Amino acid sequence: MTFDAKALIVEQVEGIRKSVAGKAIIACSGGVDSTTAAVLASHALDDRLLAVYVDTGLMRKDETEDVARTVKELKVNHRILRAADEFFAALRGVSDPEKKRTIIGNKFIELFEREAKTFDADSLVQGTIAPDWIESGGQLRDRIKTHHNVAGLPANMKLKLVEPLRDLYKDEVRTVARTLGVRVAERQPFPGPGLAVRIVGEVTPEKTVLVREASAIVEHEIEVAAKDKRVPLPWQYFAVLLPVQTVGVHGDLRVYGQTIAVRAVDSIDGMTATYSKIPHDVLDRISIRITNEVPGINRVVYDVSNKPPATIEWE
Amino acid sequence: MRVYVVDNGGQWTHREWRVLKYLGVDTKIVPNDSPVSDLKEVDGLVLSGGAPRVGIDPEKMGKNGEYLDAFRGPILGICAGHQFMATHLGGAAAPAKVPEFGKSVVKVHEPDVLFEGLPDRFEVWESHNDEVTKIPPGFTALASSPNCSVQAMRHRDRPLFGLQFHPEVEHTQFGPDIFRNFLKVCENST
Repeated sequence: MTFDAKALIVEQVEGIRKSVAGKAIIACSGGVDSTTAAVLASHALDDRLLAVYVDTGLMRKDETEDVARTVKELKVNHRILRAADEFFAALRGVSDPEKKRTIIGNKFIELFEREAKTFDADSLVQGTIAPDWIESGGQLRDRIKTHHNVAGLPANMKLKLVEPLRDLYKDEVRTVARTLGVRVAERQPFPGPGLAVRIVGEVTPEKTVLVREASAIVEHEIEVAAKDKRVPLPWQYFAVLLPVQTVGVHGDLRVYGQTIAVRAVDSIDGMTATYSKIPHDVLDRISIRITNEVPGINRVVYDVSNKPPATIEWE
Repeated sequence: MRVYVVDNGGQWTHREWRVLKYLGVDTKIVPNDSPVSDLKEVDGLVLSGGAPRVGIDPEKMGKNGEYLDAFRGPILGICAGHQFMATHLGGAAAPAKVPEFGKSVVKVHEPDVLFEGLPDRFEVWESHNDEVTKIPPGFTALASSPNCSVQAMRHRDRPLFGLQFHPEVEHTQFGPDIFRNFLKVCENST
């Protein structure tokens, strides 16, 4: 017996219709989960839906333009909020990864509640999936990390929560996405807190630029290698900026520069994963490009950890 | 056929539900403080993995003891569920000398219905801080790994099974087959 995407689609469109008497807003990140949830919600609610995308300033290179396109393709009411300044201000001085996630979750809700008021919506639709609430813990279950769309929600949230994909894992969501013809069905997972959890330590606009550039290089080189069938396309592949400075030599001068960790894993549902066996020449290209092109980075390391004992993301 | 998953607060409890669902079984996740009377029409139970440190503090396992005492159908304990089965029935669990996280290799020493159709050696995924240090009276140890001597156990007569590793995750080889074998036991018991 396999997963029945068509049955889920019928069930959840009906479910959303039943749950939302008035209007709803949906939080869109441009990712598979929220886009799929948005399509389901648009089938159920049509005009009664407002899709909201927040540019947090923590997105990847050229991402906002791409997400804006995805959101417009939904053919529902939509708003694109530019809130980078608000997010960076809220994150100033914060190093603890859990605090970062909670701050970001709260900020999202603050913005969604603002939009919901204007649109007169009483419900918030989210593309929350099983690993999000599982890893956020509760009662007996330990909190592995605060997923912004679960534990980042304030206790006194006024909006009613509607989550049509709650019981699904990513591989099942992709099946639903493909059935619905969602363009981003194969996109790699990108965390809600974005690049904030790919910078170990305090998040600043300057560090965000560095990790964004490094990540673009990692993504490009791995995608080229995967297209050439040198390596299976990993489940996720990205760069992390470490709070570690080490000695290097540039043009006969000593440098004391920053470090990027390259992370690439293979997985089916994100609940267990193995580190990707990227060919050395691909790692070599990534390392050379990052240390040449991204100012201040003089060392690149490769993360060889499975999940468990590590998680896929570093924070 | 109805097989429920008792939620001991594991990261992969919901995966156990997913595997059973894919195998066509009527399944549900129930909190581990559900009254035993809720399980009257259930044909088999899975005691899920969990966060509680059974080797240190077995008190956090809700009504798992009552299920082991009163539920007459087959029971599969996974990780914390397996360790609790051991401590509750007269064996022991303690912090593992070498805990295992992620990949390990299990060697099956004793043939059993649970491993029917499987090779003697296969890759499994672990995530445990504690381990069974003494199997309960009436039980047989079935499999081990280099760092953990009781990776699988069963009661000689009653259909009670314990697995230290996690058959429910994608990275454990033959995971669904192990569940299928357990379901065969459940079928034969009704």
